[in-house]
Amino acid sequence: MQWLDNLTNGIRALLQPGRVERDLDEELDSFLTDSIEHKVRSGMPEKAARREALVEMGSRNSVKHQVWSSRWESMLDSLLQDARISMRGLLRSPGYTAVALLSLALGIGGNTAIFTLINQVLLRPLPVRHPEQLMAFANSESAGIAGGIDPGQIGGYFPWDMAKQFEADPGPFQGIAAYGSFSDTASLRLTGHADGSTDGQAFLAPVNLVSGNYFSVLGADALLGRTILPADDAAPGSGAVAVLSYHFWHESLASDRNIIGKTMTINGTPFEVIGVMREGFHGIKQDIAPPDVWTPISMQAQVLQFPSMLIPHSGLYFLHLFGRLTQSAVTNKADFLHSQNWLDNRVRDAIREREGGPLSTERQQEIGRETVPLVPAGRGISMIRSEYGDSLKILMGVVALVLLIACANLSNFLLARAARRRQETMTRLALGSSAMRIVRQSLVEAFLLSMSGGMLGLAVAFAATRALIGFVSQGDSYIAMQSVPDLKVLAFTLITSLLAGLLFGLAPAIGAARTGVHGSIGSNVRTALSGGGRRVNFWPKSLVSAQVAVSLLLLVLAGLFLRTLRNLQNQDYGFERTHLLLAQTSERLAGYAPHQLPALHQQLLQRLSAIPGVRSVALAQMPPISNGTWSSNISLSGYTPGPNENLGSDLNRVSGAYFETAGIPILAGRGFTEADNANNLKVAVVNETLARHFFPHGDALGKMLTIDMDSVRGPWQIVGIAKDTRTGSPRDTDPVTMTYIPLAQIAPYLPVPAGSSARAATSGLDENQNCYANTLLLRTTGDPGQAIGALRSAVASIDPNLPLLQITTIREQVSNLISHDELVTTLSSLFSSLALLLAALGLYGVMSYNVARRNSEIGIRLALGAGTATVVGMILRESLLLLGVGLALGVPLALLSTRLVKDQMFGLNPVDPFTFSLAVLVLAGTTLFAGWLPARRAAKVDPMQALRCD
Amino acid sequence: MSPKTDTFGGRQAQSSDLVQGTLEMLILKTLELEPMHGYGVGLRIEQISGGVFRVNPGSLLPALSRMERAGNVTSAWQATENHRRAKYYSLTARGRKALCTETEKWQLRIGAIAQILEA
Amino acid sequence: MADDGKSEVLQGTLDLMVLKTLYAMGPQHGFGIARRIEQVSDGVLNLNEGTVYTALLRLQQQGWIASKWGTSENNRRARFYSITRQGAKQLERETENWERVAGVMERVLRLERQG
Repeated sequence: MQWLDNLTNGIRALLQPGRVERDLDEELDSFLTDSIEHKVRSGMPEKAARREALVEMGSRNSVKHQVWSSRWESMLDSLLQDARISMRGLLRSPGYTAVALLSLALGIGGNTAIFTLINQVLLRPLPVRHPEQLMAFANSESAGIAGGIDPGQIGGYFPWDMAKQFEADPGPFQGIAAYGSFSDTASLRLTGHADGSTDGQAFLAPVNLVSGNYFSVLGADALLGRTILPADDAAPGSGAVAVLSYHFWHESLASDRNIIGKTMTINGTPFEVIGVMREGFHGIKQDIAPPDVWTPISMQAQVLQFPSMLIPHSGLYFLHLFGRLTQSAVTNKADFLHSQNWLDNRVRDAIREREGGPLSTERQQEIGRETVPLVPAGRGISMIRSEYGDSLKILMGVVALVLLIACANLSNFLLARAARRRQETMTRLALGSSAMRIVRQSLVEAFLLSMSGGMLGLAVAFAATRALIGFVSQGDSYIAMQSVPDLKVLAFTLITSLLAGLLFGLAPAIGAARTGVHGSIGSNVRTALSGGGRRVNFWPKSLVSAQVAVSLLLLVLAGLFLRTLRNLQNQDYGFERTHLLLAQTSERLAGYAPHQLPALHQQLLQRLSAIPGVRSVALAQMPPISNGTWSSNISLSGYTPGPNENLGSDLNRVSGAYFETAGIPILAGRGFTEADNANNLKVAVVNETLARHFFPHGDALGKMLTIDMDSVRGPWQIVGIAKDTRTGSPRDTDPVTMTYIPLAQIAPYLPVPAGSSARAATSGLDENQNCYANTLLLRTTGDPGQAIGALRSAVASIDPNLPLLQITTIREQVSNLISHDELVTTLSSLFSSLALLLAALGLYGVMSYNVARRNSEIGIRLALGAGTATVVGMILRESLLLLGVGLALGVPLALLSTRLVKDQMFGLNPVDPFTFSLAVLVLAGTTLFAGWLPARRAAKVDPMQALRCD
Repeated sequence: MSPKTDTFGGRQAQSSDLVQGTLEMLILKTLELEPMHGYGVGLRIEQISGGVFRVNPGSLLPALSRMERAGNVTSAWQATENHRRAKYYSLTARGRKALCTETEKWQLRIGAIAQILEA
Repeated sequence: MADDGKSEVLQGTLDLMVLKTLYAMGPQHGFGIARRIEQVSDGVLNLNEGTVYTALLRLQQQGWIASKWGTSENNRRARFYSITRQGAKQLERETENWERVAGVMERVLRLERQG
């Protein structure tokens, strides 16, 4: 504990400098007295003894200083002193300091902001026990209900019966749990009274279905009450219990600790609240809008208000699975493979069992090849991660480069200042200041700047992160991402600031040290300052060239992303992207049964058409372009499919004026009309790709089309061919087959299967769920945004309970689908402009300094008859040289680096000559302008003045 | 009689001077003999070296302060024989151990240098 | 003081050893001097190149040694150092001083606690 004593003594000395001083004074006095007494005793006259003792002791202050410097706290003290000196120096040039701090704040802030997101999206583990043991069964990012596929294939969907089997027998896993692949928004109402009579407030919140062992396998405990247990999830319809998220409990229920045991209705069914999870827990799926309520899967029908999907062999796959490996399977590859093989075998067995009957050898082999890969899920399963991960990594690189450029500027400035202070430094050295001390002073100044910059950067980062999260969330009110930095982010900022300080403080410090070794006050200071050219200039100039090179890289990147975004935006979408307003609604949430829909739809169409400025109105299940799909296999009269041919088609159910409203051209035949209703022949419109694929001779019209789904089977007669449209990701250019059917021709009740009783026909659950229309489309004459108010009041006038979940213009809808491209483009443009500005500032600074330094030389040249043009040319030539070197480095650098973003490009090659030339031009223009300003100043040098100065 | 020059004159040391390490060893040795106040230490070093080593407060006090921080010596204010207050330094257990290892090292080094000088 | 087994060499004694080595062995290059000192001291004195070269530089500035380019045993160009007449005198002074100091130290360290 010696160091501890040392530390406490030091701190005490720092806090009580007076006491230490007195102590030392007393000791010195006693020393002196002893010395005198001793000398007197040995026979010296008192006066002489005193004089000699004093001489021996030397300067009292110097002794004190030496004692002081033998202790560590003196180091700290002189560091503080250095900091004070630096602070004064910085305040003396407020303009520079402001620019320096601003560029550092932006540089460090940018880095921190992007890191905050990277930390949350890419790095942070789930707040559960041993997250590294969690494995998702296949990539489970997508959400929905799938049918007609093998379990675990295409997005990792599983049916309930299979999930139950895995839960009961997890094989080599510690446990296997299931959860609903999607969190449906449900209407929640706190009843307050057990009898259900209440005036409690209603909330809309996402609810996720989970298996009874979900929380235990995940390794998450409740903050209050308990989590869902296997007993809750035993049989369909049993286990009406709900666990709440911390966020919901905190925001909507005012952190009511008595909530446990109370009753809450979810879509009308009463549930008992049994627990509240801890803060920061959002489940295994890291959705942008995370679930607020978890209920057992057994309550699926009540929560989703959708017919039971829990019937064995229902063919409805809507669950994702994950397992917890044993620790040995995490560390040992063989054990891991054992778990993987076990899973694959179980899935293959299940497929064989499901197919029933004898299987062809071919199918046997196919099943034998199927696999459900274990995907590490310790950081959760996140769509955001796969969507934004690459973008964030690219942006991290971009902001790091910007910070480097800012550092180069600061380095140059400090170098210039050190050079200006050379004489002062030499004087200090001559007066006995150690070279170490001067180097330290120089570093302290750098760190003072970088730390202040880092502090400001943190503020910048906070604001920037909020904006970024806002961008990513696209208007969702609560999302699982935070802009408040955690410890990791703070450490990142601290380290970044320190590194930056070291980076730009090192060269000036080395310069100062070199002055210490070689400098001597006797040498001709002025010569060193004005003529000592090449060496002094080497650093600043190479830094400027490097800045030019890196700026070119950033400009090229920004250019490439900009062109990619343009290409994405300007491609032919197949529908019109102006004057169209889209609104998402949920007729089911408002309590409409399928048989009530035709009347509602009729009313909606009429009321919305009456809004002034609305040209036409349509209803559809889905907007022309969105993330979701509704699809099925189809068959066509007169078409014999080949073996293994993909017969899938995307589907949409639409109202009469859909094609006019969405602006999708009909290429042959006709679109739908109001006459296409339940009383007339069932008709369909298909897209070009479908028509061309199945009817290459152009005879699609009039053919019959059947959909492989009972609720909308058909047959449907093809009456029109519509232009192809982009339906999903705008990057996805592969043509998609598409079938449109009229909403009005879908029967509200499902056909009664042979053998079932007539009773089923009237029960609500057998109504046809595929009648709902979730999208309202309005084509307007003017700005579609203007119609939002009228749309809201029109819908409310029909039914105030009909929710309008999201209202967007088609332009916003498309831009949401390319949001990560927009993010990268916006930010890389922003940062490359910043880089360009910083590089220009850097060049301007170095050239200005050169001009100032060569003032007398320029003066002499002018006095000797050199023209202004010559002088301007002379200075500009230097700038051009730096630009040339920078470009010579930057072009190959950019060529190499842009290869890394090849996958992010759309419709252009990363070696895009146009982008490269433009970037070079912009850079050259800016640099020359930055170099021209000092050149002009050089030409204005008054020879007499310059020479007199000398 | 001219003022004594300092054998351990810190930074401006002549090349023939012995630096800090030796001084600290001498102080340790002196305090091992008996606890003493600052002036006494200097005086004792001079005495036992037969006047070869001389040490001024400018070297002695920083060395004592350094050694106190390192935990090799402790100090306390005590009354002197002529009834004044003085800061007395004494060796700690740690300091005793340090003296031992330093002495060993010194012997080793002295032997090595002697070998070179004789070679 | 360093706590590892090998001793740091104090500046004053280093000068002495370098001078002595050059005096005894004739002209040497820097590396040779360092190895020689280590060898003769049975590895007790461990010198890094930097220390030796600063010492050589200092001694040269004092005019106690001189240097010129030559060829080392493995046919590389190296700077060879030799002791000057002034250096020889300095060596004598330093040796005397060292012996005096070492003698006193020897005596001091042998002192026992009285009473």
